[in-house]
Amino acid sequence: MSTFPKILTGNFGKGAADIGVYKSLGGYSNLGPKLFSTSQFEMIDIVQRSGLRGRGGAGFPTGMKWSFVPRNTGKPVYLVVNADEGEPGTFKDHFLMLEDPHKLIEGMILCGWALGARTAYIYVRGEFLNCIESLNKAINQAYEAGYLGKNIAGSNYSFDIYVHRGAGAYICGEETALISSLEGRKGQPRLKPPFPAVSGAWASPTCVNNVETLMAVPWIFENGPEAYAKLGTPKSPGTKVFSVSGDVKRPGVYEVPLGIPMMELLESPDYCQGLVGTMKGCIPGGSSTPVLTPEETAKVTLDYEAMAAAGTMLGSGAVIPFNTQRSVVGMLKTLTHFYSHESCGQCTPCRDGTGYADRVLDTVVDGHGRDGDLDLLVDLANNFNGATICPLSAADAAPIINFVKKYRSEFEAVVAKNPKRDEPRLDAHFRPGGFW
Amino acid sequence: MSNSYHFPILPGPDTPKVTINVDNVDVQVPDGTNLVEALKTIGIETPHFCYHPDLPLAGNCRQCMIETDGPRGLGLAIACYTPVRAGMKVATDRSSEKVKKARAAVMEFQLANHPLDCPICDKAGECTLQENYMKVGNGESRVREEIGKAYHGNPDHRFTDSKGQDRGGKHVDLGPTVVLDEERCILCDRCTRFMRDVAGSEQLYIADRGDRAYITVFPGTQLDHAYDLNVTDICPVGALTAKHFRFQSRVWFLKKTDSIVPDDSLGANVTIDHHEGKVARLMPRRNGAVNKSWISNASRLTYQALSENRLVRGRADGHDISLEDAFAKAGMLLSKARKVALVASGHLTNEDNAGLLALAAQLGTKAEVFGGSWLEVGTPDGISRSGDPVANRKGLELLGIKDNLDDLARRASEFDVILIANNDLWGASPEKARALDAIAQRIVLSPWSNATTAKATLVVGIRAWAEVRGTMVNCNGRIQLMQAAPTTPDERLEPAWQLLSRLAGERWSSEIDAWKAAAAKAPALAGVTYRTIGRQGQQLETLA
Repeated sequence: MSTFPKILTGNFGKGAADIGVYKSLGGYSNLGPKLFSTSQFEMIDIVQRSGLRGRGGAGFPTGMKWSFVPRNTGKPVYLVVNADEGEPGTFKDHFLMLEDPHKLIEGMILCGWALGARTAYIYVRGEFLNCIESLNKAINQAYEAGYLGKNIAGSNYSFDIYVHRGAGAYICGEETALISSLEGRKGQPRLKPPFPAVSGAWASPTCVNNVETLMAVPWIFENGPEAYAKLGTPKSPGTKVFSVSGDVKRPGVYEVPLGIPMMELLESPDYCQGLVGTMKGCIPGGSSTPVLTPEETAKVTLDYEAMAAAGTMLGSGAVIPFNTQRSVVGMLKTLTHFYSHESCGQCTPCRDGTGYADRVLDTVVDGHGRDGDLDLLVDLANNFNGATICPLSAADAAPIINFVKKYRSEFEAVVAKNPKRDEPRLDAHFRPGGFW
Repeated sequence: MSNSYHFPILPGPDTPKVTINVDNVDVQVPDGTNLVEALKTIGIETPHFCYHPDLPLAGNCRQCMIETDGPRGLGLAIACYTPVRAGMKVATDRSSEKVKKARAAVMEFQLANHPLDCPICDKAGECTLQENYMKVGNGESRVREEIGKAYHGNPDHRFTDSKGQDRGGKHVDLGPTVVLDEERCILCDRCTRFMRDVAGSEQLYIADRGDRAYITVFPGTQLDHAYDLNVTDICPVGALTAKHFRFQSRVWFLKKTDSIVPDDSLGANVTIDHHEGKVARLMPRRNGAVNKSWISNASRLTYQALSENRLVRGRADGHDISLEDAFAKAGMLLSKARKVALVASGHLTNEDNAGLLALAAQLGTKAEVFGGSWLEVGTPDGISRSGDPVANRKGLELLGIKDNLDDLARRASEFDVILIANNDLWGASPEKARALDAIAQRIVLSPWSNATTAKATLVVGIRAWAEVRGTMVNCNGRIQLMQAAPTTPDERLEPAWQLLSRLAGERWSSEIDAWKAAAAKAPALAGVTYRTIGRQGQQLETLA
């Protein structure tokens, strides 16, 4: 294992949630003349050259996202931090905010400076009460120390941060739904365009970034974009925090440089220390990413390109390996239930389709599955896949399509247990030519 | 609920046209407009539920799928959120199997949770879901019996399907005018957008999420807006129904007659839906320049008066007489009169008032024409009412009839006969009208018994607004045409213009003659014919 700087998790276990400890570890050193003599465009250029990509799941280049925010529109620019970590299997932001909230604040100040934003919101998932406590404490300390508020660190730049507690809806992790929720409306995604960069919160230019993304910015500014770009692979530079759960010996939050093999993360003594049992498959990037078979898992490396080549996504970095004792049918049922429950109910294919698919799978799990149910399930998933305003329908379709494709025999075995599996699908009197 | 507040861009008469490629054919469509509307201009109907030309875009039903060239090549998109760009490529279900499949898929999802209770549903026959299903549906269902949806509706009226499954809120009373049947709702969000963005009072909202979502009012409140009945029109299924029309008639029996509703000077466009000589309801008729797609509850319910308190005969000195006797008596009174006051009305058409003017001309110097109203004028509500209850006030002005009722009241003693053509003077202001008691002979032409007919010495029944063809000029100087619905309670009743022209000795054979007489009196009406007015009315340039 190569050595690399722990950009994101370096302060873990050191009590860095306290400003004194954070400063003694070198924190807030960026907030000096060097920052305030850097222009907004230079700042964006630095982030662009570092190659930092959004860590929320989509992997969009962060510098480019910042450059989309228009200037001098006469409206305020808002920075919104997406801390509504809701993807099943993902828990990295939770620990990042809990252990090192000041680094997030510092990253936000740097981002705010680059965007010309005066106000920032941290939209925290409602269940993360300890994170909210930790963030509020850190923000109060930062105000007292003069790093937030009017004329921060002696400059003429003013910056305010507010913590907004969400209500725990998965869909509010989608940036336009998050903005709607932040505004006090029902958290439902909006039609695009206009994109949030142009018309987001309160119809003003808004930049929504993930917690982990912003926490990499202080290191990049301090050590230069070239140093960051040297880490990882050329197209996926830097380090990333992975949340590993499932059948491994030591689940947890691990920071690794992008591009290392998946098996290194799962088996290295520094990280997960190996699997429990024999692997049956692995969800590589959060529950909405297509599942990988053991053979695919053995080959894949942890970067955006290799994941895409393997037909899946790096996503939010939630790695869930599972062993042969697990029922994939039961796992898929858990996921379809989750997504149909979390559908915001706006678009027809997602609202009615995810629930429909869930109920079809329900009958399979209950032992009432019939011939053709698996094809029906995949056809439904293909039909609602991506047909909606936001990607939630696609997030439900990906596991359905891939689980059924890769573990079809196991699904068929469950259906085969139903002695009445060849009964006609419809009631006779619903069929044309029957009752009518 | 969409949080987007963009209204669709609709094609106007002056919108420049650009060339786009639809189904591999180059066509000319209005630039920058909403693709659903643009395709309509070339005769292609796109199935949709949530889209409505007068509501902000929501883009949530996903029914209007088309293929178009986006940043990632040709791909599926919703037509309602795709503006026309020059040179764009569009594939509809006529050329693209992908679009066909996507539309059928959305339809299947819509129906997965929709009860097929069309035989007992009040919307059947004018249901968008039925119509779109016939166009784009799969034809055969593969939805299984145990696939159903659970609702959280009014606990007293839960709906159970044929399998005994609890299917939720049935007959939920939302307020004084509207009833909700939750299990039919497809959550297109039109009603909530109407209440929020048109009515301006967010009384409806969608509670819960996913397929558990349902329409409701806020706790402790009800749906009681002056425009709330419009939600029953825009509801694409039978979820929201109007108490006044619910189960009154099957819609396929109804015949439609275009008209305008004369309770307000904006002249909201409506269709009179009638069956077997009775008006069943009024429905708003879309006119982008007048009332868009909306009418107020008050306007909508004016039809109820058409069958109440009607005068189908004449009445003299407290006794009913035949219409012909009443006509003859009126003619006698007028000919014997020393000085006659003729009162025109802003509640009558231009044709009717032209008849009154013809009578004035025939009576010569002994007749004097008065007009106007003592009704109070309110303020515009910005949707479909100007606040002025005198619908044809502008028409009176055009014909040169002055608003001089106060003058009439002051000089009442000069007259011995007054003829009032459908103008409820005593109803509008009993105090001011009291002066008119001094006139010995009071002839009143009216479709209804009212305060004025009670004061009359001679009453002649006439046809009401729904039963006559004619024109009115609205408060913005737009002349609009009303067609006659065959709903008169008695065929012997005459339109006011006919009665008045007969009193004047004119031989007008139809309202066209009356219209010609009216047009001759008003320079602003030069060149205007029923044909140029058409269904959407015509803006009079001199009054614009």
